[in-house]
Amino acid sequence: MEIKGEQEFNGPRELLYELLLDPDVLSGALPGVERFEEVAPETYESTMRVGIASVRGTYTGRVEVLEQNPPESYRLKVEGSGKPGGVRADAVVELSENGSGTTMHYRADVKARGTIARLGGRLLGGVARLLIGQFFKSIEQQVDDRAA
Amino acid sequence: MTSVDGPVLPKLIGERVKRREDPRLIQGQATYVDDIKLPGMLHLAFKRSDIAHGVIKSIDTSAAAAIEGVELVITGAELAEHLGPMPIGTPFPAPDHFSVATDKVRYVGEPVAVVVAEDRYIARDAADAIEVEYDELPAVVDPEAAMEAGSATLHEGFERNIAVESYWGGTGVNPETAQPEDDSAVDAAFAEADVVVSQRMMNQRLAPNAMEPRGVVAHYEPGREYLTVWSATQNPHILRTLVAAMMGLGEHQVRAVAPEVGGGFGCKINIYGEEYTAAALSRLVKAPVKWIEDRTEAFLTTTHGRDLLGYIDLAAKSDGTITGLKARIIADIGAYEVLLTAMIPTLTGLMMNGVYRLPVVRHELTEVFTNKTPTDAYRGAGRPEGLYFLERAVDMVARELDMDPAEVRRKNFVPADEFPFATQGGLVYDSGNYEPCLDKALEVADWQGMLAERDAARAEGRIVGVGLSFYVEVCGLGPSAVVPTGGWEHSGVTVERGGKVTATTGASPHGQGNETTFAQMLADHFSIPFEDITILHGDTGVVKQGIGTFGSRSQAVGGAALISAAGKAGDKMKQFAAAMMTDQEVSPEDLVFEDGRIQVEGAPEVSKTFAEVADFAYVPVPLPAGMEPGVSEESFFEPENNTYPFGCHISMVEVDRETGETKLLKLIAVDDCGNVINPLIVEGQVHGGLAQGIGQAMFEEVVYDEDGQPVTASFMDYVMPRAADLPVFELDRTVTPTPINPLGAKGVGEAGTIGSTPCVINAAVDALAPFGVTHIEMPLRPERMWRLINEGGQS
Repeated sequence: MEIKGEQEFNGPRELLYELLLDPDVLSGALPGVERFEEVAPETYESTMRVGIASVRGTYTGRVEVLEQNPPESYRLKVEGSGKPGGVRADAVVELSENGSGTTMHYRADVKARGTIARLGGRLLGGVARLLIGQFFKSIEQQVDDRAA
Repeated sequence: MTSVDGPVLPKLIGERVKRREDPRLIQGQATYVDDIKLPGMLHLAFKRSDIAHGVIKSIDTSAAAAIEGVELVITGAELAEHLGPMPIGTPFPAPDHFSVATDKVRYVGEPVAVVVAEDRYIARDAADAIEVEYDELPAVVDPEAAMEAGSATLHEGFERNIAVESYWGGTGVNPETAQPEDDSAVDAAFAEADVVVSQRMMNQRLAPNAMEPRGVVAHYEPGREYLTVWSATQNPHILRTLVAAMMGLGEHQVRAVAPEVGGGFGCKINIYGEEYTAAALSRLVKAPVKWIEDRTEAFLTTTHGRDLLGYIDLAAKSDGTITGLKARIIADIGAYEVLLTAMIPTLTGLMMNGVYRLPVVRHELTEVFTNKTPTDAYRGAGRPEGLYFLERAVDMVARELDMDPAEVRRKNFVPADEFPFATQGGLVYDSGNYEPCLDKALEVADWQGMLAERDAARAEGRIVGVGLSFYVEVCGLGPSAVVPTGGWEHSGVTVERGGKVTATTGASPHGQGNETTFAQMLADHFSIPFEDITILHGDTGVVKQGIGTFGSRSQAVGGAALISAAGKAGDKMKQFAAAMMTDQEVSPEDLVFEDGRIQVEGAPEVSKTFAEVADFAYVPVPLPAGMEPGVSEESFFEPENNTYPFGCHISMVEVDRETGETKLLKLIAVDDCGNVINPLIVEGQVHGGLAQGIGQAMFEEVVYDEDGQPVTASFMDYVMPRAADLPVFELDRTVTPTPINPLGAKGVGEAGTIGSTPCVINAAVDALAPFGVTHIEMPLRPERMWRLINEGGQS
């Protein structure tokens, strides 16, 4: 399935770009993260707890940051798995100036297997939106803090 | 006539006797597999693949084995030392298929390891703790793509994933070689036709969804070298044969029991890996073991049905006379061939003759492996697919010629005086009389009134359509020449002391109501009370021999065996009765059964009660010369042919213009299944069949994503028909008995699923015809219908 959307932030895109790729910021902003470590350049491993319905469980995953083009765009390859199954995602993030701040466009191709694919299929979009929403709220807070 | 004491017993055949099975079933007093609990019983859980295609790199069972209460964790490769590849019941080449995958997985849900533990929950937790690493391979889920060069292949030795490829059963095909020699007549028929309709049609994949999932309890007793297997199966005798073979045992060392079985619909014909695994592991751990399928497993691993793609061409003259049929069928059989997998799609082409005279036919069939759950029989098993393709195409001819669909069918019917009728596919229809059935359906439905109602609704801006279908199907499977297990059925009839009767049948029921219908038949045969008869089934330790229940064979084959055995038992009762009346010089030939007595015909005062004679049979003093004591007889009935019931279904649908939702307003089914023992049970069978056939037309579909992940593996996503989705069915019958068995009964278990599906789609296409729609793929999802209303064309 494809998950895509856009989000507006107040700060300049250089700041946003920096925050979005800062492991410390990410580990604070990603919901349910228990561990987020850089294991190789631009490669992170993380443990994440998701507490939503049939996709409830602890997931371990790996995130690779590719095709960095600061401050405009980058690509993420995400692979995660837990008891309820696994997820693989290929995401592209683009940042553009919108006059007063920055607009972020994201587009991810997500592939699921196991219970997530079977029972979570109808939930996955909603769960993703919920988690992404929480993430943006946290990033927004950090942007505001830095900008202040 | 002199009167005698005692009640006059009503004749029960043809009466609406309520099912004697139902009180226990609806009061929680029935015993299903999961109700069986044995001392020391352990529980199985399967670790299953969550990818569609991949090589097993490693399986780490250490964490699972360390869990307290876990008795054994075993991988597929280890289990293969105890169990060879599973047998199939068709003559087609098949790749090895192990109960638990040994090196490669080919569909989501395929087992890779098994846990034996103290209870079900520990077993399940331990299965979750097994770590499996795969080298993932690309999955193929589209059967046409699977046949292309460069596609991922599932099995070595099956190039382009083709399991079965045949070109057969049509004009110009050499029956010896099954190869086409000269089918220029087909090309000529199409070249000369006034009208040709051509349509690609999908008969989508379905999940059978029996209310009771599968389950097995296996108990191997090493001291006795004897295995007992309880299983939710349609055919315990076949289970016994195959489990014995897989275990290296003789049939005398295995007892198979099908206790109460909560629905089969064909998916419980196959003998599954879990059944063999349970038997093998019981022997290995020296304890009884149980496995009960959960609903997700049922969606992933119980065989699916249908999944046939058809390219159909039908040629006709301008007056509606059909002049030729071409059918190219591609069957997506999933990842493996199981018991009857490869045979099912062959029935599709065979039955595509329908009720018509088809001068020329060309059939091509390709069965293709994909990374999906294996397919096998599902209610109708190949015939609903064939009749759907044919009845859609005939409707398209009617529409093309602007003719009444009923009249196009009437024009092409095989006439009543041409039976027995040999089809192009080599079948011989036993009996048929199609026109009265069509006329009755048109009358019951008030077809002209329905057309007027539709037109009036359209004038109001509503989207309403009417549809019709006429089917013939093949029932009463055997004979043995075409059923690899044997096509006969067995029955035993014992007259007990006191004049009660116990009968056995190998036609193991799971909703067919044999306990009721068979008792009705014996009550009439012996003229004894219905309550005095018990029908036993589903236990190879009790029922000496049997084949099982599939292909609507219970009555046509099982019932015929029962009547044959009852005839033998009755003859012996008459001989004992005559021996008891020697002073009256009575000969057995003069005796009849009447109201609980065995009497000289027309002379009730010269009689003994049925009970007196039964008692005498077991203490025969003096024993009549040449006789053995007791009355316990048995019969094997081998049918010489199949039976071919038929029927006409008519429906009316309305589509909501705003939401695209389709509502089935009416469904009229006039079925002809020959003679009927119990109309109530026949109607029940038709009702259930209609619901499933309508389910296919309107709601149901198994969907996989491009990676082979099933996305409809729960009732949240797989839409089953519910009572509120269905109208009150209007049923009627015509009666054309079969000459194939002494009962004249043909079979009715699958009729509803065969007639209703094309009937509903024909109505839906009629509803959307004003929008330029000529075909609609199933199911009738609101989104699909909405798009067609707004965009026209085909779906």
